[in-house]
Amino acid sequence: MPAAAHSASAPHESPATQGTLRRAVVVGGNRIPFARTGGAYTKSSNQDMLTAALDGLIARFGLQEERIGEVAAGAVLKHSRDFNLTREAVLGSALSPETPAYDLQQACATGLETVLGLANKIKLGQIDSAIAGGVDSASDAPIAVSEGLREVLLDLHRAKSLPDRLKVLSRLRPKDLAPDAPNTGEPRTGLSMGEHQALTTAQWKISREAQDEIAFNSHHNLAAAYERGFFDDLVTPYRGLSRDSNLRPDTSMEKLATLKPVFGKGLGAEATMTAGNSTPLTDGASTVLLGSEEWADARGLPKLAVVVDGEAAAVDFVHGKDGLLMAPAFAVPRLLARNGLSFEDIDFFEIHEAFAGTVLSTLAAWEDEEFGRTRLGLDGSLGKIDRAKLNVNGSSLAAGHPFAATGGRIVASLAKMLHENGPVNGRPARGLISICAAGGQGVVAILEAYSAPEGR
Amino acid sequence: MSTEQPLILGDLPSLSKLYVNAAATAARRRLLGFPAATALPQGSHEVRGVRADVANLTEYQHLIGETASDALPAGFIHALAFPVSMSVLNRDDFPLPLLGMIHLKNQVEQLRAVHFSEPLDVRSWADNMRGHRAGTQLDVVAEVRSSNDGALLWRGISTYLAKGVFLPGFDKAPEAAAPAEFRAPAPTAVWQLGVDTGRLYAAVSGDFNPIHLSLLSAKALGLPRSIAHGMYLASRALADVGSVKAEAFRWDVNFEAPVYLPARVALEIGTVHSSSGSWERSDYVAWSPRSGRRHFSGSVTAL
Repeated sequence: MPAAAHSASAPHESPATQGTLRRAVVVGGNRIPFARTGGAYTKSSNQDMLTAALDGLIARFGLQEERIGEVAAGAVLKHSRDFNLTREAVLGSALSPETPAYDLQQACATGLETVLGLANKIKLGQIDSAIAGGVDSASDAPIAVSEGLREVLLDLHRAKSLPDRLKVLSRLRPKDLAPDAPNTGEPRTGLSMGEHQALTTAQWKISREAQDEIAFNSHHNLAAAYERGFFDDLVTPYRGLSRDSNLRPDTSMEKLATLKPVFGKGLGAEATMTAGNSTPLTDGASTVLLGSEEWADARGLPKLAVVVDGEAAAVDFVHGKDGLLMAPAFAVPRLLARNGLSFEDIDFFEIHEAFAGTVLSTLAAWEDEEFGRTRLGLDGSLGKIDRAKLNVNGSSLAAGHPFAATGGRIVASLAKMLHENGPVNGRPARGLISICAAGGQGVVAILEAYSAPEGR
Repeated sequence: MSTEQPLILGDLPSLSKLYVNAAATAARRRLLGFPAATALPQGSHEVRGVRADVANLTEYQHLIGETASDALPAGFIHALAFPVSMSVLNRDDFPLPLLGMIHLKNQVEQLRAVHFSEPLDVRSWADNMRGHRAGTQLDVVAEVRSSNDGALLWRGISTYLAKGVFLPGFDKAPEAAAPAEFRAPAPTAVWQLGVDTGRLYAAVSGDFNPIHLSLLSAKALGLPRSIAHGMYLASRALADVGSVKAEAFRWDVNFEAPVYLPARVALEIGTVHSSSGSWERSDYVAWSPRSGRRHFSGSVTAL
């Protein structure tokens, strides 16, 4: 029965108005392998890559010509012509052209935020199915005309007479002809993300060896996951690439130790952050298929995990109160408290490796008694996580980090891990995702393995 | 086609060399009065193990407006096979002048999606020479098979007219009945084609026919201005139909008035769905919004 007819005949059954929430399940995901910038995807645009990831998802779950409730995705580095990037990708895909789509941008948290926003719409009963995603290209980055040239061009357009136009043109200076390329600097501090993290890494006294160990584990865990076929139903080859090109399965602690520091060289403390324990610029795209239980059941699709809850936080990094990438340190305790959970209730920790130092600074803050008391308002430290549960199938240091695509990569992989794991102590396996983002932001989420509700 | 073994070429011939050679042949025939042959050459030309260049594929997809997927667009395969076809038309025993031939229509059957990494065997031959009220026409057939298992993947028939050439033994076809007057429908799209449209398509397809490149090179061949490649227009229409089309489809186009550059081209695409809602076919027609003349029309149909 069409939804409209349903709500017209029985308005009180509409979940959106009745106050009961449905569950939003992760059906599966698809991404293209991530490529180091200047590699296999150099000539591919954001729209190309997002469409490729989308078409792989459509093929995997038989969604050709299907009208999906809504598609949301985004990119961090975005051309002005890509104002409707996601809708354009939908139109270029095999989905029904009657599928609506919107763009979202929350720096590196973009992908996870699309999952949370769409899952909420499913829970409310506004939509039955959704595709979340993200894409970024550091290779095909936008380059803009300089601010001086831009102002002259706009004024020229408004000038009415020839003398007016000449007057406007006379303002042009040679330096105005130099283009503006994007950079990773924070607008308010002028520091790059790496330099910001170097301050935080030094503040929490994170050692070089501990950072290299995070990088080493990331590469070896990701390589092992590829070896056992974990990504066979999560990744579709594109442009000749079938694995993430940044992956170094043979890297060793010795090799990592030979790399020279690239960030934090001007600090008093020893510089510890290298190209090995920082993520490289990467190109790639990811997608996640979400649905209500009924929608998935009607199509015989898997229900891997449930999107339980999410939380965003932001820190005052501008004047150095907290590190730029430390917002998840605050988001996670709030999310756990709201759901009545502690670290002991989490079986998989997916902490995005922007830098190994980010992961370790966050863990250090959670383990710190004073931080717990003064900043989190707890009796003591938040707690220590079992490192054996951290990024068990690798993370961004090995896979690479096409900014907006990272959330979709993590959600799809974690959903599959939870599904494969089976119950823990009679309850569904549970995973925590933590993603830091530019602007001092962070978005975190809890996923749970899907289990049929009581009585079904 | 004949049962003769194909002539195997070592590599894809260079189209620019073929065009130079065609010009030289035309000049030689004119100067020395060489009698051209009066029958089509028997046999076919073939190049084996052809692979698409992925950078070229991406450029083609961006120019045409195709999704930059790993599958080769049907028009890209046409461009891939085109040098082999041209080498057939460039033989010394080919009876018609290659330069100045007019592309009348094109029919393609794409039998399955072709991945860019797949090695391909490309064979082409000329066939079915016949009279036309304005000259002599013929079909140039190209077949693309998988080098791995020999499966036929793509088949194209391009019909060309050598205008003003009347060969002994081929009757002038009767005057076609006057075509029904074209009345432009409401457009579903308008293309703005810049004066560089021909050069851009030449760069991705390798088809540097001078009539498409510039005002001067087109004038040298008797055209008032440069014209858009027919296959560029048809391939854009195919891209505009979109990815609803099945993996196996038939794609036809009939060319009428040429598109002189720069130009605005109005387009209407109508789609037919089956009773179950799945895509069956799309018909397209393009015309000049200024003169109302029809440029081309065609269809894409599920196989």
